[in-house]
Amino acid sequence: MEQLIEILEDIKEGVDYNTCTTLIDDQILDSFAILSLVSEIEDNFDVEVSSSELTPENFNSAKSLWAMITRLQGEN
Amino acid sequence: MSYFLISYFALFLPIVIIIYQLVPQKFRWIVLLAADYVFFYMLSGNLIIFLIAATLFAWGLGLWIGKVGQNNELAAKDKKKKKAHIMILGILVSLGVLLLLKYFNFFGENIGALANALGSDFVFTPIKFMVPIGISYYTLQIISYLVDVKRGNQEPVKNLAKIALYLSFFPQIMEGPISRYHQVGEDLYAGRPITFENLKFGYQRICYGLVKKLIVADRIAPLVTKVFGDYQTYDGSVLLLGVLSYTLQLYAEFSGCMDIIIGSGEILGIKLPENFRQPFFAKDASDFWHRWHITLGTWFKDYIFFPVSLAKPVKKLAKNIKNHIGKTASKFTAPFIALFCVWSCNGLWHGPKWTYIFYGMYYFVIIFVENLLEEPTKKITAKLHINREGKGYRVFRFVKLFIIINLGEMFFRADTVKDGFIMLKGIVTNFHISELFANIWMLKLERADFFAVLGGLLIIIIVGIAKESGKNIRADIAGWKLPLRWIFWYGAIFLVIIFGAYGAGYTTVDMIYAGY
Repeated sequence: MEQLIEILEDIKEGVDYNTCTTLIDDQILDSFAILSLVSEIEDNFDVEVSSSELTPENFNSAKSLWAMITRLQGEN
Repeated sequence: MSYFLISYFALFLPIVIIIYQLVPQKFRWIVLLAADYVFFYMLSGNLIIFLIAATLFAWGLGLWIGKVGQNNELAAKDKKKKKAHIMILGILVSLGVLLLLKYFNFFGENIGALANALGSDFVFTPIKFMVPIGISYYTLQIISYLVDVKRGNQEPVKNLAKIALYLSFFPQIMEGPISRYHQVGEDLYAGRPITFENLKFGYQRICYGLVKKLIVADRIAPLVTKVFGDYQTYDGSVLLLGVLSYTLQLYAEFSGCMDIIIGSGEILGIKLPENFRQPFFAKDASDFWHRWHITLGTWFKDYIFFPVSLAKPVKKLAKNIKNHIGKTASKFTAPFIALFCVWSCNGLWHGPKWTYIFYGMYYFVIIFVENLLEEPTKKITAKLHINREGKGYRVFRFVKLFIIINLGEMFFRADTVKDGFIMLKGIVTNFHISELFANIWMLKLERADFFAVLGGLLIIIIVGIAKESGKNIRADIAGWKLPLRWIFWYGAIFLVIIFGAYGAGYTTVDMIYAGY
């Protein structure tokens, strides 16, 4: 989870990723940032993120992102 | 039938509302579906067969995708593959019909011209197709439904009536907004009773839409037609007025139409997605497209931008670029390809014209460059101690975006791309403000029109500023004392009746976006 927060901070700083639950709903992460994030997640956690995973439910918070990563790792 | 006609908002809609309310809740969906199909038939006659066929097709394919692997007869990978094949079939057929009806002649003529230029004597004979109204809108809704079912983000809908309602809802069939099944599907079927609150807020919103369309868009329309039609004869200052007027006309017309559509939905208890969010307050072109025709933008993002960016060949290419050129170039590879696809489709979606394709490419370049320069710009402004949230920078940002928007709309409205460039040249190289004052009352704009448009524009600006500051104007007005409230709303109704562009000498201008 800490590694994920670091990735998020690299992509967009100045956001409290421990508490924010509206990363998509409030457009804190735009389309370009989401693509960078997906690329970093794939490289660092050895998972493949398909476009069907790009939902607000998965990307609205660090916690939901981490849940998605853990699930994808389990499916591998 | 048009949403701006009295026959819609003072006859068709009230009749639907009354019957809908009188019928028991469990049968209300039938009233709604009947209203949808009557409305569609009035617009497109026998072409309703296309809508019915598309509905059956989307419903059947959704169920088929849902049935794949239900009995565990397939391995997970094969199940995914089969679902994808059915989805692709659905997309190809839906898009195929759209392409055939709307774009066959355009592509044929261009291929013919290219063949002739290469020495061939091929002659393309255009075919006259009848295009059902709303096909561009309901096709996108079908695709989103099938993709969502395939992805597992949407349960296949068993009830045919629900799909039929989703694809044909009469307030949105002509101009959108493009909704997703999960946003409206179940509400359309629920048949909830109409409340006084919904009726009041819905008609208030319709009234505001009429102000935008009848007082602003339709009064400025003759000037726009005149300037764009005779652009060769005018000075740059007049051309600039024509371009600015067109942007205003388009915004007032399209967002006004959305107010009527969303207001109609609100009356029936259907919350349609918003399509505009104060676009002229955007900070850059990307942000502008998050605020203008929002549902089209999010559709392209979800069903083109992300799938293309995350497609295996694109990822592979980005990885190769990362290994051979560098991380920065790799970071922009997928967005570059995906944005190109999005904006090609955006241009073409508006219609089979080169000006629209040019318009798409215009925004492709601007948005890509904006994103490319975002980080360097941040660094430069930080070095120069420029406050990016300060007033000066915000004014600069507004002016820059305002120029970008108007330039884009000029090419969008021009008959050909060449005409657009001639107009641009005129504005830049032949600009004499005195010519504007000499010509202004000869542009089919009476003094009364001018002041009505100015008043309407002022209302739009005030409402926009209030909404951007987070104010809920309707709720605020609802909190006023009764006499004041009545004065306000009667005033608004009389405003439309007195200052709206109708009566002798005026005809309601066709809805621009209904043609797309």
